[in-house]
Amino acid sequence: MQQYRRAVMLLISAMVFSGCSGAKTATGPVFFPMAPNPPRVQYLMKVSNSEDIEGKKSSFTLFARKDQKDDQVRHIIKPYGVTTHKGRIFICDTGGGTISIIDPVAKTFLPLKGNFSTGKLRKPVNLAFGNDGTMYVADVERKEVLVYDPEGNFKTAFGKDLEMKPTDVAVDDKFLYVIDMAHSEIKVLDSKSGKLLNQIGKRTETTDGLALPSNLAMDGKGFLYVTNTLSGKVMKFDRDGHLLQSFGKLGDGFGQFGRPKGITVDDAGRIYVADSAHQNVQLFNEKGRLLMFFGDPGSAPGGTMNLPTSVAVSKENLDFYQKMADPSFELENVIFVINQYGSNKLSVYGLGHRKGDELDPATGDIKAKEQQSSADTKK
Amino acid sequence: MPLPLMILVCLCCLPALASGESTCFTANCHRAIMELKHLHAPVRDENCLACHVRITTTHPILVGNGKSFGLVAEGAKLCEKCHDALGRKRVVHGPVREGKCLACHRAHGASGEQLLDVGDDQTSFCLGCHDPASFKGQFMHGPVATGECTKCHNPHESSEPGLLPAKGRDLCLRCHADFAKAMAAATVVHPPVSERPCTSCHTPHSSPAAHILKKKMPDLCTDCHEQVARKLSEATVQHKPLQSKESCGSCHSPHFSTTKGLLPNTEQEVCLGCHGSDSLGSPPLSNLKKELASKKDLHAPVKNGTCDSCHDPHGSPYGKILKGPYPAQFYAPYKEGDYDFCLSCHDKSMLKFPETTIYTKFRNGNRNLHYVHVVHKRKGRTCRACHEPHAGDGLKLIGKNGPRFGDWRIPIRHTMTPTGGSCAPGCHRKFDYDREKAVDYLKDQKK
Repeated sequence: MQQYRRAVMLLISAMVFSGCSGAKTATGPVFFPMAPNPPRVQYLMKVSNSEDIEGKKSSFTLFARKDQKDDQVRHIIKPYGVTTHKGRIFICDTGGGTISIIDPVAKTFLPLKGNFSTGKLRKPVNLAFGNDGTMYVADVERKEVLVYDPEGNFKTAFGKDLEMKPTDVAVDDKFLYVIDMAHSEIKVLDSKSGKLLNQIGKRTETTDGLALPSNLAMDGKGFLYVTNTLSGKVMKFDRDGHLLQSFGKLGDGFGQFGRPKGITVDDAGRIYVADSAHQNVQLFNEKGRLLMFFGDPGSAPGGTMNLPTSVAVSKENLDFYQKMADPSFELENVIFVINQYGSNKLSVYGLGHRKGDELDPATGDIKAKEQQSSADTKK
Repeated sequence: MPLPLMILVCLCCLPALASGESTCFTANCHRAIMELKHLHAPVRDENCLACHVRITTTHPILVGNGKSFGLVAEGAKLCEKCHDALGRKRVVHGPVREGKCLACHRAHGASGEQLLDVGDDQTSFCLGCHDPASFKGQFMHGPVATGECTKCHNPHESSEPGLLPAKGRDLCLRCHADFAKAMAAATVVHPPVSERPCTSCHTPHSSPAAHILKKKMPDLCTDCHEQVARKLSEATVQHKPLQSKESCGSCHSPHFSTTKGLLPNTEQEVCLGCHGSDSLGSPPLSNLKKELASKKDLHAPVKNGTCDSCHDPHGSPYGKILKGPYPAQFYAPYKEGDYDFCLSCHDKSMLKFPETTIYTKFRNGNRNLHYVHVVHKRKGRTCRACHEPHAGDGLKLIGKNGPRFGDWRIPIRHTMTPTGGSCAPGCHRKFDYDREKAVDYLKDQKK
């Protein structure tokens, strides 16, 4: 009898430990939403350090070299913002006080060149590029927007006298739009001189406005989209500051937000919002209707998210990323999501569709085959 | 019969009959047959026994009620002794099917060819059996009007319905050869023309509708073009050609064309075909040909030649058969939605915000001067107060003569500078405006 009890105990402990033995390992492509829905997003890859891009280098050497420092693995410590520009990925690393510049095709992972002396970043959170390649970085600790030329050399810094807490930036051909979380407004600066020209988006007694805004995006038509941590709203403004659209609220339902952070808009007008409370990214159409969401809370490999703060979307290097996708899945966009914690600091996803799925040209949605066939049957 | 008389008859007739010579047509016997214009060949050859056979020996003397000559066969069998047998094809004319050749033909001879008592006009002959109803329409097919039924019908049999000698469209194109040639060169063909028989739209005999259509236009067209039917029923402002006799055919070439929409010319040419005149309507509508001539500042749809970008040629619930709402008056109290027609292309936000740097260049500093002019609760100036809808003389579709305002045409006198401009219209004194350095109008007034 005692032997039997021992056997049962062993079996139970084996089951418990096997259950706790770690995250599920992804055995195949990870798609969102889950089957039987047609897949629209596939998890492609993650980046946490330079080895994920450059590959592992042998640490064995008989002699010390001058450039040995370059062989060290560079880690992304605590990232916040991500932006893409001309195929390269720019990650604001608040933990490392730097910007990591990744070229996935050339397989390089480099720090920002001008990050020293007066150009030294302390807590960079988000960045944006002007048409001429000038880079504007919002640094919440320096309370400034730092400006770097296209080669990465520090040029100047804006806004020291404005006493702002810059959390995100956007640029058009003339103006720099800076989210000032401290004053819940967007400051409009001259992108060349840094002169304050306008303050927009502020809530008044009669009009709704920003409430602890965190992230900013500009779409192809020049409209600004802001996430508001306090109200849980996504707000769309024109560049004059007219509130054109507002959707979402605090909550845990579909289309609601816990802590909406990163936001971006693709060329089809789809709005992507990263939520660090729900730990997912929700996709909306241009009218603010929820299309889908992807990402699960956690730190397991395979598309999970761990305090996501930023999202970027790009069509650049699509062929390169297509090679990582399932052969049946055709990419339309590549989505980059920053996780503040966990092993997937940068998660890369592909928005697309199964080959053969027919897309509605008006909405970009997949036409449901079942609906199509049932319509045919009725005929 | 007394014996001497019998002997006399025998002596006169029997030798001739026995030898088969042409003695059936004597002055006293069967004379009328020979007087017929077109004789049946055996009759002409006086070969009566080709069809007839003596059944008594007493001819020409009748004994009792019986006949002395009969036929060598009955019905069609008799004709088939010489003529090929008929009735083997899919569709057979009723009398042929029943073997009643003599329902149409005369046995010995007739006034017309083919042993028919018919002249050039076959109408009354055929309508002896066929219902005349479909031949009484005001508009008649040419062969029907001239009574040439056999131009389109085979009188005996055919493999095609309606005893047609060829398939529907092929038959029609035998005569309408010019049509066939032009259709082969056309880039756009109306689907019923290429896919269905001509009788989808036309009735082959006659019709109360012009062009022997099954129904008058537009009813015929809207049977298929449901969307146009809906528009026509909802339209409070109608395009007059549609109500005219030619209706849809006023603008469309119904069979084929080289232009999209089955138009006989480019869209603008078709429109200017009517709207390029000084005498269209009462009071006359603008002569657009003159209005557009030699002008470079054209409204984009005019430049592209797409009048239907703004106007719906099939009718509309809006004035000037526009495709959307636009105030009919010169001044109109502003309401959102009233300008949806213009704002379907032009940015809606232009009339949304009193201050802007984005939606219009017509501003003093950030002050939106479009908003100032249009968004007025009582006296909003409609677009036409400053802009010409089709072509202007300078820039921004502003005309030299200005818009019509009763008997007057209000001059606009608008000038432009790189950062603004000025306006000295018939409405107010001259005002400058500048986007970068706003003009202070109050200061201006104090001076």
